[in-house]
Amino acid sequence: MSRKDLAEAIGVNPQTIGYLERGDYAPSVELALKIAGVFSAPVEMVFSLKPFASLAQTIRKTGED
Amino acid sequence: MYVRSRRRPMGSAMSPALARTLFVALYALYPMGCILQLGPDTGDELPIASITGLLMVALAMLAFAVLAGSSFQRQAQEPDAKLDERELAQRNRATYRAFSVFASLVALGLLYMNLRLDFADRFDLWAPVTPEHWNALFWGVIILSLTLPAAFLAWEQEPPSED
Repeated sequence: MSRKDLAEAIGVNPQTIGYLERGDYAPSVELALKIAGVFSAPVEMVFSLKPFASLAQTIRKTGED
Repeated sequence: MYVRSRRRPMGSAMSPALARTLFVALYALYPMGCILQLGPDTGDELPIASITGLLMVALAMLAFAVLAGSSFQRQAQEPDAKLDERELAQRNRATYRAFSVFASLVALGLLYMNLRLDFADRFDLWAPVTPEHWNALFWGVIILSLTLPAAFLAWEQEPPSED
């Protein structure tokens, strides 16, 4: 999904998606829920107060467990 | 003042660096051009200073015309309902800063005029006298008040990244 598609789905400017990805803008609860809704995922899977671990780290950790 | 074009209703996409350059050109060329153009008449056959001043004002107006259709000016002037929450938050910050700077400049101008009157017998400080002086000052204030919030937005925004 492109930034433009996501922006259209939640009704924001595509630039705003770039701000969110870079962590330069903290969205409102309403916007966070809308974005999570587009991906059919719980909001804590999309946004977190701590930076998400990289995919490689997650796979490595799963393998160790 | 935002001039919406039919082809680009969201404003012409412009890099923050270009917009900053145009704002600096506008804020530097207009006053310098007015000073040169309205300076004392030297009686020369070819008033080079006056013509140079006029050209500088024309270039400043060109920068203003380009900025009037930019996405920065759109964000600064668009009704609230047409902006998203990030754009609104940025605009509120930019408008607050622009108002602070504008109010400070007005206060400094008033202070200057007051000091000029107080020390009129000791210093020969410049003051707008002719209609041309007031005209230049009036349009300068109008241009500044119309563009200052967008200028703050241009300094705040990051260049858009590729999709």
